[in-house]
Amino acid sequence: MIRIVTLGPFDDTDIASLSRTLYQAFGLGTEFAGEKPLPASAETDDGRYDAEKLVREAQSPRLIADDKVLFLTGEALALPPGPLGEPPAWGYAQQGGARAVVSVKRLPARGVSEASIEAWRRRLAREAIHFVGHLWELHHCYDGRCAMHPSWSPNLAANPDADLCNFCREKSERKVRLAKT
Amino acid sequence: MKGQNPRPEDAGSPEGLITDASALRPGDRVVYPNQGVCRVTGVEVKEIAGQKLELLRMEREEDGAAVMVPKPKLSSIGLRRVATRDYVEGVFHFLAAQADDPELDWKIRHRDNADRLITGGVLGIAEVVKGLHALSRIRPLPTKEREQYDSSRHLLVAEISAALNVTPSIAEDYVDFALMPPAGTTFKLKPPPTPVELPVRLARRRPVAKSEDDISLDELGLELDAIPEIGEAAGEGEEGAEEKAEGAEAAAPEGEGEAAAEVAPPRAARKGKAEAAPRAKKEPPGKKAKAEPAPKAKKEPARKAKAEKPAARKPAAKKPAGRGGKK
Repeated sequence: MIRIVTLGPFDDTDIASLSRTLYQAFGLGTEFAGEKPLPASAETDDGRYDAEKLVREAQSPRLIADDKVLFLTGEALALPPGPLGEPPAWGYAQQGGARAVVSVKRLPARGVSEASIEAWRRRLAREAIHFVGHLWELHHCYDGRCAMHPSWSPNLAANPDADLCNFCREKSERKVRLAKT
Repeated sequence: MKGQNPRPEDAGSPEGLITDASALRPGDRVVYPNQGVCRVTGVEVKEIAGQKLELLRMEREEDGAAVMVPKPKLSSIGLRRVATRDYVEGVFHFLAAQADDPELDWKIRHRDNADRLITGGVLGIAEVVKGLHALSRIRPLPTKEREQYDSSRHLLVAEISAALNVTPSIAEDYVDFALMPPAGTTFKLKPPPTPVELPVRLARRRPVAKSEDDISLDELGLELDAIPEIGEAAGEGEEGAEEKAEGAEAAAPEGEGEAAAEVAPPRAARKGKAEAAPRAKKEPPGKKAKAEPAPKAKKEPARKAKAEKPAARKPAAKKPAGRGGKK
């Protein structure tokens, strides 16, 4: 089961749309588990939130066995800088773990037109699939059309599909099958 | 976890192999080739097939799986310590540097990649990831190599995560930030560590390819000096003018070339040669005209003249006909 927890106000129809897409992508039941406050301790000096700390400290609903929880936030996230600098953070997931977060801060503006809202939802779904994929031990994929392709890559299409490539899909199905309790 | 690598000076490099079990203590982190980061838990004595064996017991960090290695076998399996932070930083500079042309012969590529994963250390794993990533930009990887790419990426992420003391997810972001930087990002790169040399198999393979070519040329009694087109065909690759000059030189001191081929060449030198060798050997349909050495050499002057004619004729024929009038 994938449980979606919002860490701020989100439109119900957006959450419903995201639930449907996640269900289609992983074949797992997906439900909205309510809104929780942002953990203040994860806030950094520059006003962003430490992604790793946020995921660790955010309140989550009760999880059973292989349940996964996906937090949604409108705040900007930060990752610790690496040897070549800080990679852009669209979200964070505990690889092979149970908790992930997606930030909508870097998504294109939601807008008010039907087309722009649809594009925004598709991008949100893509990012959600990406980070839930990490929870199922998927790695980044070189295929620019796959949802597991890095979100900042220049090879990524402007309006990418919210879908996994065959390899990643099969791998996730295998992992889900093995993990089902 | 940073302080858990007691010998940082040799860790991470292929030279940092662990050959003596007495150097290991419970709690030490080591890398088992193709398995990932393991933690030493101790030494056990077990009786197997009537023999008492001393086994080094390790636990794979990823899933806690037990790995046991007989002490005498320790030197041959390629067990090594987790790379140091400094060494891993060098690996990132390697990943972010411009990629070489990928090896196009899948047999050589697959074998070299398998060798690199076993003996190449963390840089060897990074080479596999980078090489297959570069290849994936040209064409989708076949299933086997897609799996190899995924597993080598998994090993690289696990080791970087252990070395830099970050979570695997962040380690993977670092790797891809170097491999696929966002548009407009530039890095101040330092010279990367020396690439891993894989001399063992190359020493066997290289003379075979070379001798086959030599035999075919010698048997036909061809002299390279007399046929300028061969030099041209060879030079049509990436280094046109340079190779033409080299081709003329190579015709005279043949002995030197053979001697150089017999010595196991370093990786960088091998790459260029390895690309040339399979082309000449396999003769894929698209490259036949360039690669075929012997039979074409005789007919080439005539063929070239033929090939040039239609190109010269076509525009001449078209000009006066319909298109000139359209203007």
